[in-house]
Amino acid sequence: MAATGTVTARKAAWLDLDAVAAPSRAAVAGVRVAVACGIIGIWEALSASGLFFGDVVPSLAKIIPAMLGLLGQDVFWTNLQATAWETVAALAIGAVAGVACGITLGANEFLRKAYEPFLYYFSPTPRIILFPIMIMWFGIGIESKIALGALASFFPIALSTAAGMRGIERVLIRVGRSFRASGWQMATKIYLPAMRVPVLTGVRLGFGGGLITVLLAETKLSNKGLGYLVMQYYQRFDMATLYGLLIILFVLAGVSNALIGRWERAGR
Amino acid sequence: MSASAEPYLVIDNVLKRFGSGPEATVAVDHMSFDVKPGEFVSVIGPSGCGKSTLFNIIGGLLGDYEGEVRVGAERISGPHPSIGMVFQEESTFPWRSVIDNVAFPLELRGVPKAERHDRAHHFIDMVGLSGFAKHYPSQLSGGMKQRVSIARTLVSEPQILLMDEPFAALDEQTRLLLGDKILQIQQQLNQTTLLITHNLTEAVQLSDRIVVMTYRPGRLKRIVNIDLPRPRTSEVVGSDAFGHYVAEIWSDLREEASSGMMDAETTAARRNRPRG
Repeated sequence: MAATGTVTARKAAWLDLDAVAAPSRAAVAGVRVAVACGIIGIWEALSASGLFFGDVVPSLAKIIPAMLGLLGQDVFWTNLQATAWETVAALAIGAVAGVACGITLGANEFLRKAYEPFLYYFSPTPRIILFPIMIMWFGIGIESKIALGALASFFPIALSTAAGMRGIERVLIRVGRSFRASGWQMATKIYLPAMRVPVLTGVRLGFGGGLITVLLAETKLSNKGLGYLVMQYYQRFDMATLYGLLIILFVLAGVSNALIGRWERAGR
Repeated sequence: MSASAEPYLVIDNVLKRFGSGPEATVAVDHMSFDVKPGEFVSVIGPSGCGKSTLFNIIGGLLGDYEGEVRVGAERISGPHPSIGMVFQEESTFPWRSVIDNVAFPLELRGVPKAERHDRAHHFIDMVGLSGFAKHYPSQLSGGMKQRVSIARTLVSEPQILLMDEPFAALDEQTRLLLGDKILQIQQQLNQTTLLITHNLTEAVQLSDRIVVMTYRPGRLKRIVNIDLPRPRTSEVVGSDAFGHYVAEIWSDLREEASSGMMDAETTAARRNRPRG
């Protein structure tokens, strides 16, 4: 209550955008471990509580062996292969089309003004609503999933490439011209490296979108893939294996994302 | 320096219009001067006088102009191999290390890696960046990045070094010290140089001759010979002769700069008129 001479600026303790010291790594790691332990603890408590019917929330003691068992079965590996192939093919098609489209829109102001609004408006539409059309066009095999995944990864890659193209420092282009670089040299030594980061950001987002869409499509109407496998275990009510499979999917998605992210940041 | 020699670079009655018809503005109006071998010439003028337009014409980045810019007997209509440009903006490639930045022009010509690194090292040492070859531009200060750009242009061994306010973004002290570096290099290579600047001290510190331009349209106002002894260092800034030259050129420039300032104020006033 009583004023004590010094005046200290007050701010909320968590609000530290201008913090002087970097947060300690040990503290951050500690919090992460604590969160993971907390989630596992709550999970186990729920599982033991008997609040849920049957095996809806199986204990980790059941999930882990089921997961390891899954890793030993051919059915997992063949379906993983199908999903991986679909995702890679979708990403490849989406990336090639997206980069080409992005470069075109980025290089030409008229085309950008004319077409980019379509990209923006169509981009947030869930691709899965087009699945029936893809099935009619490409059948229920992997082709329809690849088509849908390609569509999903196309948009972020195209938008990000277009933004990257426009973001190139003009002076770097003038440097290239002043040293009389050929068209090919301009493309490979200036434009592409200057756009590497935005394009790879687009590829990372496109990978996420493509994978989600492929898995989603597999759960709907298909005869292979990890999404299909998820639905199989669900229909058999094999919850322990289902959760095991989900954990594997989380890890796979996280690792692939991290790998692309590392590639994105490399060389800077 | 050798004032009797044939000029390397001739700017002959150069005129540049932007736009067409009654809307056209003349950026550079019948400019003529030349640069002789080994000479250091500065073009000085207030902001907006068409200096940068002139820079782009001489560098071959603006092909469409009237009159002639000649290197030897050749009229410039595109980037010329004997002219090396250094830009005002920070222009190093952030994805390349210093050595690969500097070796860039040699890479374009297909010089083998070992040889181009050798030659790049030589110029990295010359601009005083020994030990930074493996660094990336993001790890360097503004002045160091600008020296990388200069080394990159020097490595292509241009007959004429053409610089557009390369130190504009730097603080005054760094600028004076880099001026020393430029003087040193120029002496070492006997490098013919044309510097575009709006900085008086920089122009007098470095030049053999200074071309003063008028404000809009950019015309030739006069050419001043700077008879300060060479080799020079930034210490020349303290001498009486230096002060005399600065005062002399400033009296020419003052009128031009103030009409530029008035112009800018009118434009700003027009722009800020309340909308309704």
